[in-house]
Amino acid sequence: MAAANGHNSAGRSDVKTSRPEGSKKHVIAFVFSILLTFISFALVMAGEINTDFVYIMLVVLAIIQVFVQMAFWMHMKDKGHGFAIIGILTGVIVVFTCVIMALFWTTW
Amino acid sequence: MSSHSHVEGQLPHEPERATLEGRNKITGFWLFLGGETVLFGTLFAAYLTLRGQIMDGPTPDHLFSFLLVAIATALLLTSSLTSVFALQSMHRHDVKALLGWLIVTVILGAAFLGLEIYEFNHYVHEGHKFSTSAFSTSFYTLVGFHGAHVAFGLLWAILIMLQLKNRGLNTTTAPKVYLFGMYWHFIDVVWVFIFTVVYLMGRVG
Repeated sequence: MAAANGHNSAGRSDVKTSRPEGSKKHVIAFVFSILLTFISFALVMAGEINTDFVYIMLVVLAIIQVFVQMAFWMHMKDKGHGFAIIGILTGVIVVFTCVIMALFWTTW
Repeated sequence: MSSHSHVEGQLPHEPERATLEGRNKITGFWLFLGGETVLFGTLFAAYLTLRGQIMDGPTPDHLFSFLLVAIATALLLTSSLTSVFALQSMHRHDVKALLGWLIVTVILGAAFLGLEIYEFNHYVHEGHKFSTSAFSTSFYTLVGFHGAHVAFGLLWAILIMLQLKNRGLNTTTAPKVYLFGMYWHFIDVVWVFIFTVVYLMGRVG
């Protein structure tokens, strides 16, 4: 990591090796989110398509968007996020159990 | 560890991770977000179970307007991006830009909240009150909880801005800004599921 290099030369190379990241990938994540949102809205507003297909597509598009935002904006793709993944995943497992139970109860 | 890899008096590039306390705060906050996921997940499960029970009240199809939800989504999504810009300003040690982007974030968040208050008020006039049906109760609980999180986030951001003004950017204030950024993204992530599950699915079929 860059911080290790910076340690040797009393921080001088710290400035050089760990420059602030650019905003380009964050803007791309933003545009991508807008695009996914637009597709979701368009799918529902079109109104003529098979409803089961629309439900599944909506869930898939939402999950993709959440992954994009968590990876880039919440920095989950960066190093040292082991505990972050454990924390969120524990929550997600509970949520999936609850939601699937709720759907099972009402639909079948 | 690299807890003191910076020159005395000079702020490191990522001041939020410069101290062990800062790093622990970030890890702890992720565990908190895991708990928040469970909170919202159970509210979603309750909504999914009860959304068909509309009694004499208006149907979701009658209530929800695409335009209103699209504007709310755009506001919150843009505020998420501006909070990213705030954090990047912090990494450049540009306190002025940091405060500027936080102000933009708060304004966008406040606009979102104002729109939600207008929306709820409109629904009540349409006969969609909190106790009208199981659908209305679970709707207001889920979406209202999200709105309350936005309101709390706005208050938090304002307090952080005051502290930045008084104490400046240092290894104590930097983790607070970073945590607020994560909290704000999390609110946006929850909204993605709300506009999908509540609003869009309410209008399918």
